[in-house]
Amino acid sequence: MAALRKVIGTESIRDFSTIFSNLTISNVNTSIARQLPAVTQVRWMSRMKVRRTMPPFWLPKITRTMYPENITPENQAFVSEVVANEYSSPLKAVPWERGQWNEKVRRCGVIARKIGVYPMWKKDGTKLLTTLLQVSDNHVIRYIPPEDMATSYFNKRTGNVAGLVVGADSLDPREVTKEFNSLFVESGVLPKRKLTKFIISPTAKLAPGTPLYASHFRPGSYVDIRGITIDRGFQGVMKRWGFKGLRATHGVTKAHRSGGSIGGGGEKARVWPGTKMPGHMGRNPRIIRGVKIWRINTRHNVIWVHGPAIPGEVGNYVNMYDCSLPTRKITEENHPPFPTFFQDEEEIEEELYDEDLHLFSDKSISFAEK
Amino acid sequence: MKPLHYKSLLHITRNVETCTKRFYQRQRLTNAAVQKKRSELFSKEVKRQAALITDVEKIEVKYHGQPEDCTLIMNKSMSTPFNCAQHIGQAILDRSVLAEVNGKVWDMHRPLEEDCTLSFLHFRQPDPYYVNRAFWRAASVMLGAVLETVFKDDIYVELCSFPSPNVRTGSFVYDVDLKRPNWEPRKEELRTLSGAMTKLSLSALPFKRLEVDAKLAFEMFSDNQYKRAQVPHIAAQGEKGNSVVLYRVGDFVDMSRGPLISNTSHMGKVSIASVHPIKVDSGELLRFQGVALPKGFMMNHFSFGILQKRAEQLNTGRVPSIPIIGDIGAKPQQLSAAK
Repeated sequence: MAALRKVIGTESIRDFSTIFSNLTISNVNTSIARQLPAVTQVRWMSRMKVRRTMPPFWLPKITRTMYPENITPENQAFVSEVVANEYSSPLKAVPWERGQWNEKVRRCGVIARKIGVYPMWKKDGTKLLTTLLQVSDNHVIRYIPPEDMATSYFNKRTGNVAGLVVGADSLDPREVTKEFNSLFVESGVLPKRKLTKFIISPTAKLAPGTPLYASHFRPGSYVDIRGITIDRGFQGVMKRWGFKGLRATHGVTKAHRSGGSIGGGGEKARVWPGTKMPGHMGRNPRIIRGVKIWRINTRHNVIWVHGPAIPGEVGNYVNMYDCSLPTRKITEENHPPFPTFFQDEEEIEEELYDEDLHLFSDKSISFAEK
Repeated sequence: MKPLHYKSLLHITRNVETCTKRFYQRQRLTNAAVQKKRSELFSKEVKRQAALITDVEKIEVKYHGQPEDCTLIMNKSMSTPFNCAQHIGQAILDRSVLAEVNGKVWDMHRPLEEDCTLSFLHFRQPDPYYVNRAFWRAASVMLGAVLETVFKDDIYVELCSFPSPNVRTGSFVYDVDLKRPNWEPRKEELRTLSGAMTKLSLSALPFKRLEVDAKLAFEMFSDNQYKRAQVPHIAAQGEKGNSVVLYRVGDFVDMSRGPLISNTSHMGKVSIASVHPIKVDSGELLRFQGVALPKGFMMNHFSFGILQKRAEQLNTGRVPSIPIIGDIGAKPQQLSAAK
């Protein structure tokens, strides 16, 4: 506009031509329309995809090709005997120093297996569903001191954290590779099916070979549970994203469960990254926080936790940690056994119940007539 | 001319001996040179013995076994059981480790001398007693071959002997004079030795048998103080009274009563487990111990680990009692023979 006003005011043709040559599109459109962006568009992932189908290449291969060995039955029995004798004593001779609990300390977790869902009743008569998690054959495999803990850009760990590799459920050493077997030489236990690294404070360290039991926790305390969710396969938008779908009648043709429109048009005439569409659902790692423990059986190492919604199928492994929620802080009075409960050294009852739980051996719950 | 007194004769021979000794001491002995010399002498003797056969006579060999019994007409003192197997079939040829000739255990590459009955022995037969012993013996010989080649040139390795094969002891053995009795090998060094054994196995070299005169054997082993002292006693124990049985594998020649397996390719998984110092009359030797499985016998790492751990323990086989050099008057029973 200012340039045009200039044109009107001048008298010479030369000035006129210079003014017009100075007129660029951006100059003209400055006040009329918004400027186009100078950079090229960047697209990125819709969300952080953490589902892994293959283990990383640097992990040792676990299984080996099984070939017929034609070993006599007597020799097979002898080797089985050697396996039993060699791994019969998991604890090392020299015990490690046991740390003291304090408010800031972080304890090791356990690996448990989801074995089912069962109803329980509280003392006021309310029914609740509980999931049974079995802590089967857990042993500490390796302690990683703070100086060996990796720090990466995405996973900044400041200074004082250590690691404990815990394994669950033993395998026959003959059925696995020699490389995988060598991971368990330090702890002196049979090779394990499932390994997990727990982040702990250095004071909570445990010696390799230490067994972990369900008595690591107590009823009434809260835990965080990490598991891989049920694999639901390729699912439509209604199940996957909770879309409402279209009408069942009134002319809707073959699109009753579809997602409908996927974009708006106009300036941003494209499908936005992250648009909710059908696709693979489930088999994702999820952590549910603040799950209450209602009951523990120390003989079979089973923990009853609140709710039926623990991630994963029955038979899948989950990791259990002490709860990190600020409203479920552990205090001096109610802190769980630290660094763990050494069931081989101390006595404990077989059944431990939360105080709100109704036991079938108690008197029946009765309600007053209104 | 006055006849030379025997004392002066002795004086002359002693001087010659010291002259030659001083000459050889100036020349640094290396295992490679000694091996080459032995191998050349062996080849020469093989040619000489072959030239002795002027007429090719035929013998009847009655074969009993798979796929069918048959009679083969072979050449006397030239054809071996290996040649007979070549006529019978590839499967028999591949799996045969030893031959049984007229009821006696026979090397596959040893020529047949007369009309005989023949059958083959292999690892998977119901009672592989002789095959196992031959395998264990061959493992010791292969270990000797490896030990003569695997050390640095400035170390002169002198092999002593190995005891009679006994699989029940848990390991095969070779006693060696390394001139460094306190050597404790690291795990990597033991693995190198095992690798050398495997390499020898992969080379698929045959074990060739030869019966030689004691004098030639003495000449061949003149650079090894232990072997040359054993030669007269082994010769005395032999059938003819003055011959020694030698085996060659590649360039390595060793004394052994035999029989041995036909080929180094029959060796499968092998592991040299440990080295133990042992005390003998003249000093200290090193006992190298290992354990092996024949080719085709699969075993998982854990079970083989049990065998390895057993092989690490000191082998209770007989310790060689070496005669003092020059003590030819010692009785044969006192000395060990490399069997």
